[in-house]
Parts: sequence; C-alpha cells; structure tokens
Amino acid sequence: MSYEPLVRCDGVARTYGTGANAVVALHGATCEIWAGDHTAITGPSGSGKSTLLHLIAGLETPTAGAITWPALGARAALRPGPVALVLQGPSLLPPLDVTENVALPLVLGGVDGDDANERALRALERFDLTDLARKLPEELSGGQAQRVAIARALAQEPRLLLADEPTGQLDHATGAAVVDVLLAAAIELGAALVVSTHDPDVAARFDHVWLATDGRITVLLSPDAPSEGQPCSA
Amino acid sequence: MLGVTWIRGVIARRTGRLVATATGVAIAVALLASIGTFLAGSKATMTRRAVQNVPVDWQVEAQPGADPAAFLQTVATNTKVALPVDFAKTTGLQATTSGSTQTTGPGVIVGLPANYRTTFPGMIRDLAGARSGVLIAQQTAANLHVAPGDTITVGRAGASAFDVRVTGVVDLPKADSFFQKVGAPVGAQPQAPPDNVLFLPAAQWHERFDTLAASRPDQLTYQVHARITHALPGDPAAAYTQVTGGARNLEVKLAGTGLVGDNLGSTLGAARGDALYAQVLFLFLGLPGAVLAGLLTAAVAASGADRRRREQALLRTRGATTTTLVRLALLEAALVGGIGAIVGLATAAMVGATAFTTASFGATTATAVVWAGGAAIGGLVIAAWAIAVPAWRDARFLTVAGARRVVGRGRAPRWFRFGLDLALLAGSGLVFWLSSRNGYHLVLAPEGTPSISVSYWALFGPALLWVGAGLLAWRIAYLLLGARRFLALGVARPFSGLLANIVGATMSRQRRLLAGALALVALTTAFAASTAVFNTTYKAQAEVDARLSNGANVTVTQAPGGTAGPAAGTKIAAIPGVTAVEPVQHRYAYVGADLQDLFGVRTATIADATKLQDAYFQGGTARTLMHRLGQQSDAILVSAETVKDFQLRPGDTLRLRLQDAHTKQLKEVPFHYIGIATEFPTAPRDSFMLANATYVARATGSNAVGAFLVDTGSASPTAVAARIRAQVGTAATVTDITSSRRVIGSSLTAVDLSGLTRVELGFAVALAAAATGLVLALGFAERRRTFAIAIALGAKPRQLGGFVWSEAAFVTVGGLVAGAFIGWALAAMLVKVLTGVFDPPPAALAVPWIYLATVAGVAIAAVTMATITTIRRAQRAPVSVLRDL
Ligand SMILES: Nc1ncnc2c1ncn2[C@@H]1O[C@H](COP(=O)(O)OP(=O)(O)OP(=O)(O)O)[C@@H](O)[C@H]1O
Ligand SMILES: [Mg+2]
Repeated sequence: MSYEPLVRCDGVARTYGTGANAVVALHGATCEIWAGDHTAITGPSGSGKSTLLHLIAGLETPTAGAITWPALGARAALRPGPVALVLQGPSLLPPLDVTENVALPLVLGGVDGDDANERALRALERFDLTDLARKLPEELSGGQAQRVAIARALAQEPRLLLADEPTGQLDHATGAAVVDVLLAAAIELGAALVVSTHDPDVAARFDHVWLATDGRITVLLSPDAPSEGQPCSA
Repeated sequence: MLGVTWIRGVIARRTGRLVATATGVAIAVALLASIGTFLAGSKATMTRRAVQNVPVDWQVEAQPGADPAAFLQTVATNTKVALPVDFAKTTGLQATTSGSTQTTGPGVIVGLPANYRTTFPGMIRDLAGARSGVLIAQQTAANLHVAPGDTITVGRAGASAFDVRVTGVVDLPKADSFFQKVGAPVGAQPQAPPDNVLFLPAAQWHERFDTLAASRPDQLTYQVHARITHALPGDPAAAYTQVTGGARNLEVKLAGTGLVGDNLGSTLGAARGDALYAQVLFLFLGLPGAVLAGLLTAAVAASGADRRRREQALLRTRGATTTTLVRLALLEAALVGGIGAIVGLATAAMVGATAFTTASFGATTATAVVWAGGAAIGGLVIAAWAIAVPAWRDARFLTVAGARRVVGRGRAPRWFRFGLDLALLAGSGLVFWLSSRNGYHLVLAPEGTPSISVSYWALFGPALLWVGAGLLAWRIAYLLLGARRFLALGVARPFSGLLANIVGATMSRQRRLLAGALALVALTTAFAASTAVFNTTYKAQAEVDARLSNGANVTVTQAPGGTAGPAAGTKIAAIPGVTAVEPVQHRYAYVGADLQDLFGVRTATIADATKLQDAYFQGGTARTLMHRLGQQSDAILVSAETVKDFQLRPGDTLRLRLQDAHTKQLKEVPFHYIGIATEFPTAPRDSFMLANATYVARATGSNAVGAFLVDTGSASPTAVAARIRAQVGTAATVTDITSSRRVIGSSLTAVDLSGLTRVELGFAVALAAAATGLVLALGFAERRRTFAIAIALGAKPRQLGGFVWSEAAFVTVGGLVAGAFIGWALAAMLVKVLTGVFDPPPAALAVPWIYLATVAGVAIAAVTMATITTIRRAQRAPVSVLRDL
C-alpha cells in the first residue's frame, strides 16, 4: 500500500451559473480517500453528492480549491484507468449491447477486443447477468441496466470505484446483494469504494459515512475518529 | 390554456429546431413559388417574342366579289393599322443582260403602298440598290441575272407584257407567310412561296393590272395587311385565344367577304406549346427540390423525435389524452408551416424580382393566386407531415416505456421487404420505354386547334427513377450497414483503430437512421447533379442552335451576285478579335427539276471557324464525313430526302445543273454521292448539298464566296461584328451569334433558363449543405447523451472522433457516390424525355464539373463543420448533458 491518498480534496467548491442564478453545489470540501476506504455519502436530494463524485472522478473541475490524485496520477489519466464511475441515471450506450457496453471502457483503455470481451463476460457473470449479455439497453429493466453499469465499472478493475446511487433503481433485496458484490469486489481489488445513497441501510454497511447537506460535507462516521458531526477535514 | 403554454415552451426551449423546420418549409414554399414566378416571366417573354417575330399580324384576304374600299374600311376599323396589298400572277419574266436572255416561269407581282415598308419593317429586307421603286426578289434576280438598273419584261395573262426597270434587290425572310394560302384547311401542306417575285409601287401596279380586274379576276388577289393591339395576356395560350377569337370576330364582321390569315395566332399557337414545355421543364426541375426540402424538414423534425417522445410520455403521466397530444402537435405544425409559408413567399417574391424581374407568381392574377396559394398549402402539408403525423403515430402506438426506444433491432421497413424500390425502378423503365415509343412527344399542340395537351405521365419516368433510386440507395446502405465486418474494417478502421468493432456495431444498430441520412444525401446530390447537367446541356444546345443558324460566331454574308473570292477573307482576318476566317461558297443547283442550295467548303479548315456537330450528319461523325468529302474532289453530301427521291447509293454519280460564271448558262456537272448532311451552318433547314469548294469553283469558273464564317475566340462576337461591319460597309451583311440567339423565337431553347438556373442551383447547394451538415449535426445532437457517457467512461477526443467521423464519412461518401450515379442517370433520362426541347438533340451530356465540385465541396465542408462542432461540444460540459434527462 502506498503512503499517499488516492484523492485529496482541499477546499474544493463547485458553483454553477453566475450572478443571481449562481447555485453553490458544493462548499469548500476538504477530505482524503485512501486505498481500501469504503465510503458512503448520504444526504437529501440536491445536497451535492453527485457533484462531489464527479469532481473526485475528474469529470468536472472545481471552481475553487484544489483536487489531486496523489497515488493515481494526473486528471487526464484517471478514466479509463484507475478510476471507474457508475453514473446516477441510465448510462448504457443505446446502440451497444450489454457485453459491448461493459467492454467499452476496456477498449477505450487500449485492451484488445477479444480480451476485453472475455473480461466483460466475467464481470457480467459476477452479477448474474450472463443471460443479458446480448441484449440491448432498451431491452433491459431499469434495475438490470443499473447492474450492467456496475458490472462495467468493476470490469475495469479500478483502484477507485465511484458509484452514484447504485441501488437507486433496485428493490431492497437486490440492492443489498449489489452492495455485497461492490464491497466484495473492492476488497478483492484492494480498491477504494465511494457510493452515494439515500438508503440508511446501505450507508450502515460502510465504515466511512459522509453527510452532505446543502453542499457542505460532514463526516458522520469514521473508524479513526468516531465522533459525529465533525467537518470533513480529518 | 395548455396550447398557449405549449407553443410558448416550444418557442423558448426549442428555438433551433423550430427555426430549422420553418426554414425547410420556407425553402419548399420558395421553390414552388419561384417556379410560378419563372413560368410567369418566361411565358410573358414567349408571348412578347412571338409578337416581335411576326411582321404582319393578320393578312385579310378579300373573297371574289368583295368591294375593296369597304373591305379595307371594315378591316381598318377593327385593327390598329391596315394597308392594302395587291397580288397579280405573271406568266413569266424575261431579261437580257450581257447579250444573253433569261426567262423564268410564272411568278407573282405584288403592289405595295408607299408606307408598307415602314409600317411592317420585318417583311422585306434590302439586299442591294434602292429601298423603294421596283424591287426584285433575290432568287428571281439570280435567275434573271439582273441587278438594279436592268430592265425586265413582265408577262400578263390576257394582256400584253410590259417593261419595268429594277431599282433594288430584296429578300423576303417571311416569304412563307407573305404568300400563304389564306383559308387553307388546317393541316394542309404548306404552300411553297412562288419562285419569282417582283414588287411594284401601288400606283404602278394598279396602272398595269387594274385592266385584268374585269377580264381575268382569277389572276388577282386583294389583301389587307393589319396590325392588331399588342396588349395581350402574358400567357401565350391566353394570348392565342384572344388573337384567334379576334380573327374569327373580324371574319364575322366581313360577312363572308374575307378570310383572315392569322400569322400572329399561329405563332402564338406554337409558342403556347413551348410555354407548356417550359411548364413541364420547371415542374421537372423544381418539384424534386420542393420534395427534398420537405424530406429535410421531416429529417430535422425526426431528429427531435426522441425528446418529443419523452415529453409526450411526461404529458401522458399527467393525464393528457391522445387527442390533446395530437392537437398540440398540430398547433406546432401550424406555427412552423405558417412561418415557413410567409418567409418562403417573401423569399420567392424577392428572388423573382431580382432573378426574373417579376415579383408576380403567375402570368395572370388567377394563376398567381393559385401558385402562391398552392405553394403555401404545400408548406403547411409538409409541416403537418413532418411534425404532426409522427407525433400522432407516437401518441397512438407508443407506450410510455416504448418512448425510450431509439435504436432497436427493428425489422426493415415494409417497402424494403416488398421491394418497392425495385418496383419503382421497373415502373420508371416501363414509362420511359413507352414514352420513347412515341418519340417523347410530351406536348401535343396541333396547329390551328385551340386544345393543347401535355403528356404529364411521361414525367413519371424520371420521377419514379429518382424515388426508386433513392430507395435503392437506402437499401444498399442498409445492407452494407448489416455487414459488421465491412463496417469495422472498411469504414471505421481508419478513424477508430482498436475501437473499430465497437464503432461498427454502433453504426450497424443505427442502420435505419444512417441509411435514411445516406439516401437523403444521395437524393439531394442527384437533384443538384441532374439539374446542373441538364441545364448545362440545355445551354450548350442553345449555343449549337444559335451557331447553326448564324453559321459561326460572326458570319459575313456577301450580297447575291457578289464576285469576291476567298482572298477577301484576309482583310477580315486582320481585324482585331478575329481568330479564324473560313470562306463558304453558296450556289444554286438544279437536282432534276428541284432547285437546291449548294455549299462549297474547304473540308480541311472549315472546323477552325465553326463547330460541326455529329448530329448534322448521318452515317458518320462530322470529322469522318468532312475527311471523306476532302478525299475525293467531286464528292457531295446531300439531304436524306434527295437520297430517297433519287434512290442514291454511295458512289452513285449525281448530275447537277450549275450556272457557269462566264456564259451565265446552266451546265451539267457530275458529282459523286458519298453521304448525308442534315444540317450545316448557314444552310436552310430543308434540302441542301455540300461539296468541295475547289471543285465547285473549277466547274463554275468562279470562286465567289457566299459567306465568310468568322471565329472570334474569346472576343465578344457583337464587338467583332461591329468592327467587321465598319470595314465591309454595305457590300455584305454581318450577323453575330448573340443577336441571332435572340431571334430564334420558335424553339424553346430561346427561353432563357439562366434566371431559374441560378435560383435552382443556389437552392441545390443550400439543400446539399443542409442535407449533409444540418442533418448529421442534428442527429449527433440527439445523441449528445451517448457521447457524454462515452466521455464519462474515459473516451478521448480522438476516440469520440472515431465514432463521429466514421458515421459522417459513410453517410457523406456513400451519399455523394450514390447521388452522382442517380444524378447522371436522371440527367440522361431527362434529356431524352425532354428531347422536344432540343433541336438538334445533344450528342452528349455536358457536365458542369466546377459546379458539381462546388456541391461536393460544400457538402463535405458542412459535414466537416458539423462533425468538428459535435466533437467539441461533446467535451465541453458532459455532466450537464448527463443530468438533463
Ligand atoms: N449543471 C448544473 N447547473 C446548475 N445547477 C446544477 C448543475 N448541476 C447540479 N446543480 C445543482 O447543484 C446542486 C447539487 O446537485 P447534485 O446533483 O450534486 O445533488 P445530489 O445530492 O446528487 O442530489 P440527488 O440525491 O437528487 O441526486 C443542486 O441544487 C443542483 O440543482
Ligand atoms: Mg445525485
């Protein structure tokens, strides 16, 4: 294990729009994510959970503060590569079938087609999705699509796995099973896992729990500092 | 109200698409209305030309027993200008010059009032001598070997002959109409004008022939030549009706004492046929453009379909019924159609004012209303079809869940499975074959009858070809898109490397979308290509036509009886702007009893001064026949009729009687028949002959030149003609191709297509840009979420480009190639079907490479821009795209 965090946020803020229309989605958040951390971000709708995940994934740039990936490299090298992100909404490419969708990030990362295919099928197996391998996204239910998206993230064997509401479309039992797979995969890969969720039962299974309220992130639970309501600056 | 809220939302949130669809409708409306404007303009031009080309509108002939004074009075009160003209038959003319006496057969002696020549200036043309007095027709002068100052003896039936002194030599360009048999039944063989004609001043005529009025009235004819009002309707058909109606009316007023020879009516009768041809032509050339604009509108509207379906699903969950949804769509269609129609009509009026110098949409108010209204309705129909129909279909047949569907494994469309494209192509071939059997007679305008008809169904040949070939392009694209290996290796590999298989799969799953886009590009290209090729061919043929009648860029015709030899050409050659001068001899020769024009040419150099088309000859190209003629000094080319009349076979000896320049006697000269000439520069449209100049000069003892054909290279023919005119003075007539182009009025080639051509070709370029760039850009915009996901997954700009460029290249290259093929086939068929427009028919299609390259360039530039913009925009804010569901 390296002695550097995977991600370091230093007063990271994100504002959308300007002037009177400006919305501060995230107020200066300071935090670190280390390899092996299993973190859940909870909070009401519109509180900035997705914004934080997008920033951590390098998909967006902060409007203030700095975010670095000391153990992962430069922003441009994150995806496809050490970071995999499961988006909140439907995120499968409509013209590609399930296997192709799962293989896509691998191919984008330079993996040879056959290799990528094999790895994609293995990831699908893990989620019991082998039956759907040749289906098109529009032929899937919302929950199936969500699980395929997670399989796609896992197939990349990332060092940092980010999942935005991975159980949002799933019933309770399936949601729990998906969280099982996510946690198991993270442990197996030695990867850090960050999920956002509305579901307290899901959050309860993580050792780090952050709370987002109106763009402010506070630590609810941390194995190192189990005190509640502390700002996320530990 | 929901409707108002909805429309407000459409205007505020979908401004781009609203503008794009309204623009599509506007283009269609503008094109349709422009066709109307053009037709109005060109029909008015045709009527004006017809009027200008008729020197005497009516020749009213008195019937036996009519009182001349009363007759003249009646005609004069019913027309604007009326002058009496007397005709008398002569038994023959005789003249003695340089010791030899020539005698002609029967002829006609015409008595003209003093102001006839100024009143009807186009009827008689001066060639030599005085403008008034005793004027002799050129051929009669040649027959009698007389010149101004010579005396001739005029024979009279039932009275003694008398002598007159010739004061001038004239030519009758409209001899056929001047000597027409008034009241001849419709369809009767046109009567040949008399061989010998002499004009006398009216007083002199009456002095000589009034004595015959009582004894031999059969020898005399009395006519009144009249001009009527030229305030005629713009449409030749309407003008024809008015003029012929007026003629019938006058005959009624004359109560059987006179018949009207309606020259203006018959010219307008021919012009109305040409007008219908023009109408057909522009429907042919313009309608596909309007259809394309409609298709484009539909494509633009369809590219927003995904979003619309989601909106519909949303409205449904809030309780909207199918009727409500359809009503909202109709409202939107009405908005788009209304704006499009208004903008389109305004554009057409503006285009009309600048390109055709008329802002009216029709030749008459009624047709203007019909055209403008029709175009506007067309626009509304397009809007309804592009916007409301798909919305209605979705509202009725899509479930809320189905509204998400965008790609699918959907089966091929029904027309595809039933082979509609192949059926249409077969239909096109059938119609084409059927119309080829009747010689592509599109317009039937029987001379003298008021009814006129167009065989519109011949238009189905090209129309079916266009649609069928467009669908066939769709089919081929669809099949190619089914072949993933081909896509991956052949299309995607160069753009996307490792990603090729995935890109191939993406394209393959969007088969219908991409095949549709390709077909649209193909149809647009075909439209642009066929229009351009047709127009260029048409222009080239108009040029050929003008050159054929004028002879060359500039033609210097010597006065009859002139003796100037080829050496006179060197003076002309020295004039600035002249690049080549070629002497052509002109003689009259008897073939049996038939008098024909004989041209003596220098076969080796004739082509330097004028262009000889292969269509002028039969049994070989212009080159080979000129070569063959030059090989054998006594060879001769004759007309097909002569070959038939005299049962000639190649190599046969043909004995002509030609006048010897010294003895002025006819002498027999043997020629060898080697081939057939149907047309030749300066030659008349009926029978003529072509031989070697040196042989003719030797046989007749004179190398006198009839005309010099002058090529002006890149210099202006009009300017060069003016310079030559200044040098040669009255010794010769100088004509140039530019003026002669204006004179050929009867043929449709005289209709100046340039205005519409410019508009059409402009529209075609705009459509090509829209079909490629706009449609691709909108299609990509529709998939911006897909691109955003790809970026979230880590796709680099180059990889994203792999997806976008592969599709763009497939659609554009495929569409352009298919379009080039279809356009070529279409142009070939158009030229065949519209054969009636061409005289002579073109030997080959003329291809406007620069324009076609421009179209391809614009299309490629539009695609490149659309693609680059798409890639750029996809990267800008992927997250906000992902959030926008
Ligand atoms: N592109 C954008 N433009 C303007 N405002 C935005 C944009 N993206 C996010 N926001 C705003 O930022 C705030 C935080 O949004 P975010 O999506 O991070 O919330 P969230 O906690 O993920 O909510 P949810 O639980 O509903 O997913 C919201 O108020 C949202 O409206
Ligand atoms: Mg969120």
